[in-house]
Amino acid sequence: MTVGADLGILVVSLVAGVIGALAGVGGGILVVPSLTILFGVDIHLAVGASIVSVIATSSGAAAAYVRDRITDMRVGMFLELATTTGAVCGALLAAVVAPAFLYVLLGAVLLFSAVQQVLRLGEELPPAIEPSPVAARLRLVGSYPDARLGTEVPYAARRVPLGFALMAGAGVVSGLLGIGSGALKVLAMDGAMRLPMKVSSATSNFMIGVTAAASAGIYLARGDVDPRIAAPVALGVLTGATIGARVLPRLANRHVRIVFLPVLLAIGLETLARGLGIGL
Amino acid sequence: MTAERFRTIISTVLIVGVTLSGVLVAAGFAGSFAVGWDGSLGGPLTGLPAGGPASGLDPTDFGFLWSSLVALRPVGLAQAGLVVLIATPVVRVAASVVAFALEGDRVYAGITLVVLAILLASLFVLR
Repeated sequence: MTVGADLGILVVSLVAGVIGALAGVGGGILVVPSLTILFGVDIHLAVGASIVSVIATSSGAAAAYVRDRITDMRVGMFLELATTTGAVCGALLAAVVAPAFLYVLLGAVLLFSAVQQVLRLGEELPPAIEPSPVAARLRLVGSYPDARLGTEVPYAARRVPLGFALMAGAGVVSGLLGIGSGALKVLAMDGAMRLPMKVSSATSNFMIGVTAAASAGIYLARGDVDPRIAAPVALGVLTGATIGARVLPRLANRHVRIVFLPVLLAIGLETLARGLGIGL
Repeated sequence: MTAERFRTIISTVLIVGVTLSGVLVAAGFAGSFAVGWDGSLGGPLTGLPAGGPASGLDPTDFGFLWSSLVALRPVGLAQAGLVVLIATPVVRVAASVVAFALEGDRVYAGITLVVLAILLASLFVLR
């Protein structure tokens, strides 16, 4: 690696960190193609660095989101139960299921969700509801201080079983394919459970670190984590995520959705193309 | 345990993990410009294969992490930082188990404990 390439990786990772922290995703969609196409990094090392970038985005931004009370830790831990169980099942299923089919399925789900996101572009907050008995018992209700609106915004999760099932499915898919985990988490919380967008994004951000840590050991043992590439990625992403976490509270929920939508479209298209055997 | 304390514990775990990792990775990255990834910033070279840091150890091999760290090799500093980074979410989940338990929320202490068990199993058992 030349000094120029090192600094280039640092800058790209910084951008990925900002976007990841705002959209609640790990930034792999930006990190992996940049490393392979712009810097000629081997795909295995690029994926290893992307796992590091997911954890860096998550931990880098989560400290601020938890302190600012935007992350809902109960929602996060409850859904983490679904994703980690799903991810283990996914890893065990890897030998049985054809990945091409899964890529197509995941791509279709993401693109379909993008349409739903477009329809919600103008929505600032989901309509208020009475919490269901399940949501109340699991304490999946709360409020967050919205710096932009200048008020405390109450919310309650709806369709809890659907959200849990979606997250288990998301865990299976991301365990099998190692992708799309952040986008699916935001969709489960925003789309199914109808939590405010900032809460969905910050809570997804909180969770993706745990999901990625579960598979990081495997990548490390396999020799896919090269410090010469992962170090500038980690530094750039940590810095970017710290900046993103300072910006998010000041944004409106609909701005967060505007950042999330193109990320969702990119991941959806990339996944679908891979399933159909089209190299991007 | 108030909700405020709970958040402080979790966010402190994250800040400590991220800062420690960031400092180690940054030291390794900066050191690589000075002496190269395989060089040494002056620490003792014990525990490393004969031939010293120039013997061409594979940077993706984390087996020499400790010796490389003691030797202040940039690659060892960066490896240590990356391991701290990967461990941070795991420690955060462990801290959440304790925090939920102190708060008296048995349901969530249980849920978090199961998550921690699955996480540790996937890190150490399921290979």
